[in-house]
Amino acid sequence: MSEPKRLHPIVIVLTIGKRIKDLIFSFIALLFIWNKGDGGKLLLFAASAIAIIGIILTSILSWLRYTYRLEENELRIEYGVFVRKKRYIPLERIQSLDISEGLFQRLCGMVKVQIETAGGSGNDEAEAVLSAISKEEARYIQEYVAGAKNSSETNVYEEPSQIVYKITPSQLLLLSLTSGGVGVVISAVLAFLSQLDDFIPYEKVFRGVEQWVVSNLILIALLIFAGLILAWILALFGTMLKYANFNVTKTEHDLVISQGLLEKRQMTIPITRIQAIRINENIVRQWLGYGSVSVESAGGSASNKEGSKVLLLPLVKLKDIEHILGPYLTEYQFTSSFTSVPKKAMNRYIFRSWYIVVPLVMVSIVFFKVWGLLSLIILALVTFWGVLKYKDAGWSLDDHQLSLRYRSMVRTTVFIKKNKIQSLEMRESYFQRRKDLATLEAFVKVGFGGAGGRVIDMDRMDVRKVYTWFSREAEKRV
Amino acid sequence: MILEPQKRISIKALTVWRISSVIKILISWILAGVAIFLLHIFNGPFWISLLLIAIELISTYFMIFLLPSLRWRRFRYDVREEEIELQEGIFIVKRTLIPMIRVQHVDTVQGPILRKYQLASVIINTAATAHEIPALEESEAEELRRLISNLAKVADEDV
Repeated sequence: MSEPKRLHPIVIVLTIGKRIKDLIFSFIALLFIWNKGDGGKLLLFAASAIAIIGIILTSILSWLRYTYRLEENELRIEYGVFVRKKRYIPLERIQSLDISEGLFQRLCGMVKVQIETAGGSGNDEAEAVLSAISKEEARYIQEYVAGAKNSSETNVYEEPSQIVYKITPSQLLLLSLTSGGVGVVISAVLAFLSQLDDFIPYEKVFRGVEQWVVSNLILIALLIFAGLILAWILALFGTMLKYANFNVTKTEHDLVISQGLLEKRQMTIPITRIQAIRINENIVRQWLGYGSVSVESAGGSASNKEGSKVLLLPLVKLKDIEHILGPYLTEYQFTSSFTSVPKKAMNRYIFRSWYIVVPLVMVSIVFFKVWGLLSLIILALVTFWGVLKYKDAGWSLDDHQLSLRYRSMVRTTVFIKKNKIQSLEMRESYFQRRKDLATLEAFVKVGFGGAGGRVIDMDRMDVRKVYTWFSREAEKRV
Repeated sequence: MILEPQKRISIKALTVWRISSVIKILISWILAGVAIFLLHIFNGPFWISLLLIAIELISTYFMIFLLPSLRWRRFRYDVREEEIELQEGIFIVKRTLIPMIRVQHVDTVQGPILRKYQLASVIINTAATAHEIPALEESEAEELRRLISNLAKVADEDV
């Protein structure tokens, strides 16, 4: 396939929609500024009309100019209206192909393909986006890319794809119930309301309401409560739609993840590109014995975080992880035996949780007297949290794998192969040194920049052990 | 067992750090002066001015005299065939191990003060992190950059 191809014309509509959306706020602002004079109104309409015609024309042009082709083991994309750009991506550099179907794409039976490489040269976009191509075309590209990548290897036979995991309805329900999506919905609503701040005269509205509020406190509380429930239900449905039909299959070299009901997504992650595997357990899930597993791959760009941290098992019983993933990710040991940090570290964990809170508590007790004592509840909570953090911190070492466990808000367990660690750090503060403790941090490449894991206040000798394990020179000297 | 990294950076680093500290401290003195002046005009409490001066005096001592020498004494590095090791920090001692095969590229950078003293910093970049060896002799920095990029050439393809 060497002749350049275009995307489906629906892209024109998508582009127009996107550009108008970007401009809509400036339109509205202009409307407010100019609605005074009569002559201004005419001018405004003329300007808007010109802008819209301009947008439509450039959208059509940019669709016309955007071509892609597969040639000489490269994906070659040429685009740009005023400045012509060419982007050639060597196929073996491609980290992941992400196929998704938005509503518009579904209307005309198209899919959107996002292509990620390790570089992530574009700060805000995937390396290449084919916004609407036919499904057959997408499959063809997928196979072509897979073929190009494997051409160097001798065995040609294709392993049949195996199903690794499929979400069950009850798991989907539990997943939605225990996800933190509520926070997202609430903050979205709040953000929306604060956007409207300029248009709705809150102050005027509220001044009259004040009296009413005082006499109807219970009603208000009920309203807020109902609002929260509503947000929660929305979040619940959102999560359900997103993760419905979630399944993972393994082909010869890749993990293929597909999900979604309204907007379908399919992601392909080459197994060799996996940098780390992470288990997250929020407190509710941990209590029920569940967690979620994600893989971190080197691809992805700054805006497309999902491209680099991909949920592999959205919800799974901890003890089943080994059983489900073990046969497919053979390099990884899903160990569950961790060496805890020493007992003497506990005080430091508690103390660290106090840094900010204790002064606040003191201030509130001084100023609010008896009511200030209520803040002691917060102190108790953070202390409890500190103890939890201490209890969860741990590490484990295999021949070629470092496993770290720690908690910030959720408990995280991260498994990293030795050859994927970009750099390893050990830190000792003066106070740690006095107690023979040290902090260990490992960095891996994930998406745009780094990530990894950190365990605070490990036994100093243990940290040195890991450090020596990672040192190639120390290995030589033995 | 682990070898402690041995090599030190140029002793001239001390002078350079002190000069840049002096500049920063001068700016903060000026800001403090303005604040005290304003307090005086608006009859602000006197103890705030005293506090400001005390803070300035202490930080002058720390930034110009104490911290640079502590920092210099602590900083060690070693470039071995298969890895680079750094040790740094003042109150928190941090040791970093960077495998040679993970090094993506090496930069040398030189600010105006460094240039005046014929010094340069070497920055080692991996795919995920960046590490700095500050204030080496120009020739040494150049040599180090060449050495590291030669050693790092054998890196395998997978990130």
